[in-house]
Amino acid sequence: MSVTHVGTEAPDPQDGQSVGRFSRHSFRAKFIAVVGAAVLFDLMLAGGVAIWNVQRLSNDATEKVATGLTSATEEYLRTYIDTTALRTDLLLDQVFSEVEALGGAMQTLIDNPQTGTNVGRTVEADPKLGDKLVYNPQAGWSQNSPGESVVSVWGYLLDDEGNPLPEVEAQISDSSAFNLIAPGILKTGSPKLQMYYVGPKDKPIMRTTPYTDQAQTFDKLYPGHNEDNFWDFFFPGVYEGWQSWIKDPGNRPVDRDIVGTDPYIDAITGARIVSFFYPLWTADRSDVAGMAAVDITLDQLSNLVENVKIAETGFGFLTSSAGNVIAVSEAGAETLGLVSVGGEGQGVTGIDRLLGKSRFPEVANLELPHNTGTVIDSITLGGDGDFNEETGEGYIVVLKELSPINLWNGETIVSENLTLGFMVAKDEIYAPLTAVQLELSEATERIVYWQIAALLISLVIVTVAVYAISGRITKGLSQLAGAARALQNKDYSVRVDIPTRDEVAAAGLAFNRMAEEISFHTENLENLVDERTKKLETANKEIGALNKRLKSENVRLGAELDVAKRIQEMVLPRRSELEIIPQIEIAAFMEPADEVGGDYYDVLFDGEHIKVGIGDVTGHGLESGVLMLMVQSVARALQEKGDKDPIAFLDVLNRAVYKNITRTKSDKHLTLAFVDYIDGKVTLSGQHEEVLIIRSTGETERIDTMDLGFPVGLEADISAFVATLDLSFGPDDILILHTDGITEAENAAGNMFGLDRLSESAHSNRHKTAKGIAEAVIDDVKMHIGEYKVFDDITLVVLKHR
Amino acid sequence: MEISTNDYRVWTEGASIHYEGTMRLSGTEAYAPILEIMNSVLGSKPDLITLDLTGLEFLNSSGINLFAKFTIEIRKQPDVGVRVLGSKSIPWQSKSLRNLQRLHPALELTIS
Repeated sequence: MSVTHVGTEAPDPQDGQSVGRFSRHSFRAKFIAVVGAAVLFDLMLAGGVAIWNVQRLSNDATEKVATGLTSATEEYLRTYIDTTALRTDLLLDQVFSEVEALGGAMQTLIDNPQTGTNVGRTVEADPKLGDKLVYNPQAGWSQNSPGESVVSVWGYLLDDEGNPLPEVEAQISDSSAFNLIAPGILKTGSPKLQMYYVGPKDKPIMRTTPYTDQAQTFDKLYPGHNEDNFWDFFFPGVYEGWQSWIKDPGNRPVDRDIVGTDPYIDAITGARIVSFFYPLWTADRSDVAGMAAVDITLDQLSNLVENVKIAETGFGFLTSSAGNVIAVSEAGAETLGLVSVGGEGQGVTGIDRLLGKSRFPEVANLELPHNTGTVIDSITLGGDGDFNEETGEGYIVVLKELSPINLWNGETIVSENLTLGFMVAKDEIYAPLTAVQLELSEATERIVYWQIAALLISLVIVTVAVYAISGRITKGLSQLAGAARALQNKDYSVRVDIPTRDEVAAAGLAFNRMAEEISFHTENLENLVDERTKKLETANKEIGALNKRLKSENVRLGAELDVAKRIQEMVLPRRSELEIIPQIEIAAFMEPADEVGGDYYDVLFDGEHIKVGIGDVTGHGLESGVLMLMVQSVARALQEKGDKDPIAFLDVLNRAVYKNITRTKSDKHLTLAFVDYIDGKVTLSGQHEEVLIIRSTGETERIDTMDLGFPVGLEADISAFVATLDLSFGPDDILILHTDGITEAENAAGNMFGLDRLSESAHSNRHKTAKGIAEAVIDDVKMHIGEYKVFDDITLVVLKHR
Repeated sequence: MEISTNDYRVWTEGASIHYEGTMRLSGTEAYAPILEIMNSVLGSKPDLITLDLTGLEFLNSSGINLFAKFTIEIRKQPDVGVRVLGSKSIPWQSKSLRNLQRLHPALELTIS
């Protein structure tokens, strides 16, 4: 029995050891790897998709929120600036209304001169409201003593005694209604610094409420004002501007008579103020008749603008169309990079904080809107000057043009649009957006982290579960592998128990059956071998016994053959016998096919008569040998008796042999012929193979012996068939007798040696001695046979006459 | 009936017995099965037994003995005729078959 490894690759011993255990080569490891890979792929895909979606959701949300917040912020800023602009307009409108109320009242008095004059006289007559001018000879002007309001009459309006010129006196009286109206208006409504009245250019007396040391202040701040015309000194161009309106109403820039000034430091109060003038007309509207005016501090505008609060530090500012910032908080001014420059105004001292001169080029380059509604712009301040987003801070700038007003710019009256501006750091305004974005980003990150964590945990759980389950699934296989190994180690009692109902269990059942069969066969093999051995032993004994018997039989047969061989050898004539024959040289060759042949030859010599016999007994063996011996004995006896007649000789011989054959119940018979020589003559008798005679001349004769006899031992009487043939046989004549073993000798090709070859062979060797001829012919015969089988006895007898 | 080996074939067709090939059997015992066939034909006592030897290339001395013995057996039954067919082209037949006729002169020998 041999063990065969099944499989394409021979596993190394370690692998063989580890079959069924958990190793990277085991089925279980492969199972885990496959399931693990599938789950990992699934989790990765699901997780990846989830994370991708979360990221996308986050991005979408951020974008939506950003868009929403940006538009909301813009909307808020728009609304806020609209509201603030409205409030600014309202504030100015209220101030305008109040100066218009004063101016309107004064205009009514001008338009009704008689009533005006009467009202003036009445007021002047009132001890409390009436003007009580006091001339100041040092200063050269006249001014009333303290009361509700002050009226200053400049030196060029007085006569030498310091009394007002007559027409100036009338003007003072006619405008004294101011004392009656203005204080009330001043005290009510919006906060106003002061309200005043200036007379026409030729009588520019100045009334102001509340009372201040007006002329004294002027003297201090504006030296020389008492010598020059008031209008030309303080507000050059305003009066002429109004006069031009009369000529052509189209010259009025804005469809309202109010004219404002740029901000300036008030000479009397020292506050930063703005003045608004309301022109008065003559009753016939042919000329200007002075003005009513109001000063308001910038604080009111500033309060409004500075109260603007956007996010943390967002601020509002109010600027003129020229970019002069009228109102802004200190922090705002700092953010805008404004630099205050003292005005060089002739009458009033202006202040300039021009956007165009800001430290920041972005602010300086701000384009103010004109008839374009609200503009939202974005700038970066504090950069390297070349708009560096990274180092600078981004701001949103909102600009809105206010309603236009007429403005005296120090020379003439133009249309002016104030612009309201908001400025807020992007960081602040978009802080919620940033916060939302941050929160979204954090939430996304959190989700991603959780997702990854869940993924890893799932993986661990699945791996552990697969490991645990795989043990159960591959348990059957492991058992099978272990059992197979046990079987390999000749443990035939091993059986597997697989409780599942799958293919592995089926394999287990098959394995158990196979193991059982192997076990059965293996365990019974010894019994079988024992049984067979016993049988063989018995057979062997029998064979031994038989062999012994065979041996003894062989010995017997061998002995028999030996006897036969001895007989045959004994019967054949000795060489010494042949050599003494004087006339004829005789050589004989005989080789039996088996141990004992059926051929017969004999040479009988009685001193003068030579009788040569040749025959062929059917078959071989002891029986043939005995028959041959019989023939020889009879022939010898007859020869000794001196029977010279060949026919009688053969007849007697046949009778004797026939009777013996009949007695012994032998089936054999023989061909038999004799050659008798005497005195140069041969006599042939008996039936046998052809006799060959080669004459000394080289001539060859073939003599058929069929008609010279009959097979011996077949018939009781053959005398009728026996005949003789006499032939001369002289010196060097050769006579050759043979049995069919020579002519019928076959080679491998199945060709017989034949009589022709025999004849030729003998002929070509005829000059040799009888012995030489015999040897040469036998050599030729054997050469012809080669390695092929010798079927029959070979006998050759050569007679050569000496 | 028929006996067939690599070397020879013997078969009967009615009272005709045919021989073919080379018969070189070792002795009388070896020829017994063939003799049995021949005797069975003889046992049926036909008018004429034909021995067709035209295909028998070679016959050893034991075989000749067989035919001689069989001829003697036929001779004992005068009612049974016998005819032997031989071939001139086969050397042993032209000389040995004549002996059969000598044994039983009524034997019809045809060597063609």
